[in-house]
Parts: sequence; structure tokens; C-alpha cells
Amino acid sequence: MRTTRRSFLRLAGAGAAAATVRLDAAPAFAQASHAVKLGVLAIRAGIAAPVGAAGLRGTEWWLERVNRAGGILGRPVQLVLEEESSPKDTVERYRKLVLQDKVEAVLGGISTGVTLALGPVAEDLGTPWLSWDGTTQKGVEETMPNPRWAFKSVDNEVEAIVAGMLTPRYFRGIKTVAGIGNDYSYGHDCWQSYQTVLKRYVPDVKFVLELFPRLGVTDFTSHIAAIQQSKADLLMCSFWSGDATIIMKQAAAVGLFKTMKGVFTTAGGVHDSLKKDFTPEGLLLGYNTMYFDDPKGSPLLKQFVREYKAKYAEYPPYECDHAYFCAESYKAAVEKAAAGGTTWPERAAVVRALEGIEVESLSGRRSWRQDHVQMCNFYQGITTHRNSYDFVTIDPVEVVSTKVAMKPAGTKLFDWINSWKI
Amino acid sequence: MSGRFVLALALGATVLAPLVAPTYHVLLMLPFMAYAVALLGLNLLFGYTGLVSFGHALFLGVGAYTGAFLTSVFNVRSMETILAAAAALGALVAAPVGALCVRYVKIYFGMLTLAFGMVFYTFVLKFYRLTGGDEGMPFLRPALVGRSLEDLPKTDYLVGPYYYYSLAVLVLATLVMWRIVRSPFGLCLKTIRDNPTKAETLGIGVARYRWCAFVISAVYAAVGGALLGPPTGNVDPTLAYWTQSGNIVFMTLLGGFASFFGPVLGAFVFIYLQDWVMSVVPFWRLIFGAILAAIVIVAPGGLAGFWVRRPPVEASSP
Repeated sequence: MRTTRRSFLRLAGAGAAAATVRLDAAPAFAQASHAVKLGVLAIRAGIAAPVGAAGLRGTEWWLERVNRAGGILGRPVQLVLEEESSPKDTVERYRKLVLQDKVEAVLGGISTGVTLALGPVAEDLGTPWLSWDGTTQKGVEETMPNPRWAFKSVDNEVEAIVAGMLTPRYFRGIKTVAGIGNDYSYGHDCWQSYQTVLKRYVPDVKFVLELFPRLGVTDFTSHIAAIQQSKADLLMCSFWSGDATIIMKQAAAVGLFKTMKGVFTTAGGVHDSLKKDFTPEGLLLGYNTMYFDDPKGSPLLKQFVREYKAKYAEYPPYECDHAYFCAESYKAAVEKAAAGGTTWPERAAVVRALEGIEVESLSGRRSWRQDHVQMCNFYQGITTHRNSYDFVTIDPVEVVSTKVAMKPAGTKLFDWINSWKI
Repeated sequence: MSGRFVLALALGATVLAPLVAPTYHVLLMLPFMAYAVALLGLNLLFGYTGLVSFGHALFLGVGAYTGAFLTSVFNVRSMETILAAAAALGALVAAPVGALCVRYVKIYFGMLTLAFGMVFYTFVLKFYRLTGGDEGMPFLRPALVGRSLEDLPKTDYLVGPYYYYSLAVLVLATLVMWRIVRSPFGLCLKTIRDNPTKAETLGIGVARYRWCAFVISAVYAAVGGALLGPPTGNVDPTLAYWTQSGNIVFMTLLGGFASFFGPVLGAFVFIYLQDWVMSVVPFWRLIFGAILAAIVIVAPGGLAGFWVRRPPVEASSP
């Protein structure tokens, strides 16, 4: 068809009119449908990479569910992933997420060495940051007691405190204890907290040995020899990564736990590598905030475990729960701040809504305390071989709330423990 | 394009960056400028003296921890004091370390510097009570030229006053290094690099000159380390780890150690390339390493080698 001047003008006019309509409609359309960007910081290399991967998987599972159900206030959710590495580099990635990618909130952060640096940056940039597993504690004391934008994980030493509470219940008559933990703040803080708590329950207990091998060490032969030599009644170990499996194997080789009780505060993080071949029954084992095989677990947990197993051929560790909770609580806070409306709330309103909010997470009901610290349950119990897996599980399952095992806001840890009435 | 024109263009762009570039990219310029200062010093040792140090993160760490101690323990907030103290401590640590290391050359020198670097790393990691161990120490916001600037939001502080302060330090460090390498001292270093035996016979105290170069390079690295602290706000042992030493050697190779500005260019390309690759691919280390290796293979003289005029090929004799 030949284009005449008249037909061209008619076409151009129609195009201009259409363009005007689109331009008018564009903001409303964008408001309703453009994706909500959430930044995610996950460790992807090194010894903590499996922990980062678990957090990311938990977040992705949440994302699929939420987007299938229509997103948040009708907007689909999109994740922008960056890596957690050194404090310097992670601070730069955090700034990129907020300043360059314009995310609405940042989820993630595992290493306290990193999150100590992230906290002030989050406060400066005025974007909500919900930490999976990192605190802003220096040692066992809080450095940011009144943050506005930073939401922090459970205090690092809670699992050691829970183990300290449960030790006298399951291992009566303990007189001497040896300890082994990684040579960094977590290992030292857990050991110190465990000793303080146990001393409250068993005043005459003696701590006869403490060992702090470097994180990443894979040969514990000499450490095990020293532990045997100490003739302690019980070994407390706060390993949380593959080294927990390794020490268990090497301890089994010399029959260490035939003569000694064992407390592994955090080894539940690598629970499905603790095979029955070398992991004895009768140890106290901690799973942090989620026990995948919880007999009282919710349908949500059971569905998650089933789908996680089908997808990754393994059973989920606790980091999935931290990550799921952070994402789910953010969604709930946005909806609460919108107060039934359809407009997207201000970030400040979302932060206010997060304070004290309680949602259903994989492990059950979890909440944010008013001072932006996670509240949840900790799962520990005695290892058993009576299950259908090739690794140990726990029975009975002890569930201890952070309401009793975590220092209240504004208190000093050891003052608080020493104030307990036992 | 003449070198001076390129330099003027780069300086002009750096001055204008906070006014025109996105905030995030301006923030990335801060570690670039800090590393650039450190690399000017490292290249005095590497490019001009012929000694490759695999332990210079030690001095980055000394500078950064000096700032952290002064601001968070002694409440000294003056950046000028911090830089002066970092330089002095850098020299103080470098004096004995250098005295031991410069007795050796090539791989032995490299391994010794690496060993001292790891000794310092272990020290800051293990002495929890003093250094905060793996949790590090806060580097509180320093005052610049007597102005506290506490009222400014941190990002505004960083992309405004702190940016231009870092740029001023970099320009000053460049001018001083320019004078050093063109002084008789600098010529002696080049002679030592090219032929230490001949230098010795000419009456140049080879060990003494190498030691001086080592101490000067340490001072530069310490100043660079002190500049790295405020943007992160926290100083931790990873800053002193051997991978940091590896990174700064690689930046030097990438930019070209044969050129005065090569390492500075290397720092710029390294930081922006890493930033880009990190966001694009999950296994960025693999890709980043491959890209860097490819650049080094294609440009063995470093990126600055592209600007250096090659000598004309001599006509082959009949």
C-alpha cells in the first residue's frame, strides 16, 4: 500500500494519541506491576559457602511461594544477589544494592565480622537490612543497641547457653569438662558462655582443657590426644561446619565417646553428614533454630523439607529458617504498614511495622524484638540411631526459647547469667 | 595522545566524578585512590628496585589499624594525625623487617615478606583483646583539615569531603614519588635493579638503598591502608591477609610496573572490573581470574604498555 501524506499524518496522529495514553497510564501501571527488588547477601565461597547456599535456598523457596501467590501488595518480588565476603568488599556490595540496584531492603549477612561493619552502613543508607545470622555484637556485648534500619540475628552465644542449661539435665555427675572451638570470636564466646552457665548449675565443675584450632583445620589428631589425656568427663565442641564431621570421625577412630560424654552445640548445621557409622548415640546435639525432623513441626516445615530433599538431595539446615523468616517478616511488615491500602509504604513505616512483628517461619512462630533482634526457638537433643536415615537425629527434642536463653535488651551477658535464680 | 594530555584528562574526570557520576561509582573511587597510594610505593620496590614483595598487606594493615586505634581507642579524629601516625608506624615496622628482607632477592625476598605479612595477620587475628580479632575494630569517622563533619550523612561525607581529601593525598603522594624516582636516589635504585653488581662497584650501597626503598614503600602502603579505613568503617584482619598482598601485586602487573602510572591504572581497572564481574556471574573468581590472565597475556607490559611507544624495529642486516 502506498503511503500518502494524508495517510501518514493520520497514522502519526494516531501514534501520538496512543503514546499520550501510554504516557498517562505508565506511572499507574508501573506502580502496580513493577517488581519489588530485594537485595540478598550470601556467602558463596570458602568454609561457610554451604551455610550461605542454605540461606539462599530458603529465600528462593520463599520467593517462589510469594510470587505464585501474587507477590507483595500485588507486586512480584525479584532478588538481586550479591556475595558476602570480606567486610570491606561486602560493605561495597551492600552500597551497590542500595545505591545502584535501588533495592527496597537487603536480606542476609552471616559472619559477625562482616555484619559489624554492615550495621552502621545500613543505618547511614536508610534501607531496611534484615540479617540472617550476623549480629552487631562485639564479643558477647551489643554495639548497636538502638538501631533504626538494622535488624540483627539471635545473639551468637545462645546455643552455647542452651547447651549449658541442658548439660546438667542429661549428664548428671559431670565434674570435669574439656572444650574445643574454632579460634575466632564465635568459638571463644561460646566456650566462655557455656562455662558461665554450667558453673551456675554445677558450681564445683572444673574446666580442665580448652583448645582453639584455626577455622578450616582438618586434622584433629593431636587435639583428640590432648582431650583423651585430660580425662575430662565431657567434651564441649562448638564446631559448626565440616570440621564437626571430621572431629566426630577422628574421635570415633579412637573411641573417645566410649569414655566421655559429648556436647556439640552447633553441629546440627551439618546434621546429615553425621553418619551413624561414626556418630554415637547419647551426645547432646544442637540444631540452632530449626530441626528438620521436628515431630511437632508445622505443615510448612514438612513441605519445605520434602521439596528441599527432592530438589537438592539433602535435608535442610537451620540457615534456611533464618533466611525464610527475614523475607517473610519483611513481606508481613510491608502489608502491615500498608494497612489494607494498595500504595507501597514508606521504608520508615516498614521498619516500624517490623518491630515486634511475629510471623510463621519454617521452624514455627518467630518474631523481631523491639530492639531489632530475632526471637525464636532453639532445638537441641540427644543423638539417636533409631530413625530411617543413615545419620543421627535427636530424641528427645528439647525446644528452648530465646525468651529464656538470650540476654534481654540492654543487659550485659554475664551479669544477666549471674543474676539467674537456680 | 600525549601522556600529559591523558593524565590531565584522567585528573579532570576524577575531580568531576562526584558531580556527574552515580554515587556508587564515586564510592568505588575511594578504595581505588587508597590502593593507588599504596601501589605507588609498592612500585618503587617492584618496578624501580626489582624486588617483589608478597607481604605488603602488612603495611596496609598497619595503616588501617593505626587509624582504628587512634579513632576508637584514643579518640583522635584528625585525619592528618592519623596519616602521619600511619606513615611513622609503617616506617617503624618496615625498618627491622626491611633490614632482614633486603639481604635477599628474588623468591627469597618474596617469601620473607610473605612470612612477615602472615606474622602480622596472625597477630591481629589472635590478640582479641587488643585488636578485636576476627571482628576487627571500628574506624570512626575522621575529621578532615580540622573539620569534624559529623553532621553530614556518611555517604555525603564519603562522596564529598573525604573523596577530595583522598584525591589530594593521592596527588601529593604522586608528586613526591615522581620526585623520588627522578632523583639521584631513584636512578641508583634503577641501577641496582638492572645490575646490582655494577651498582656495588660504582659505590652504591645496594643493601642500604634497597632498605630505603622498602621503608618508603611501606610508608606509602600504610598511608593507603589508613585511607581504606573510613569508607568501610571497620578494620579487620582480612585487610592484612596474603590475598591482599597478592591483589596489590596483581594490580601492579595489570597496570604495568614499567610505567610510573601503570600500577595506578591497574588499581582502577582491577576494582571496576571486579565490581562488574561480581555482579554478573556467580562464580566470579573464576571468570575474573581468566580475564586478568588474558589481559596479562595480551599485554605483558601491563595496560600502560599500550601507551608506551615501542622502539623501532631495527632493520635486519643483509
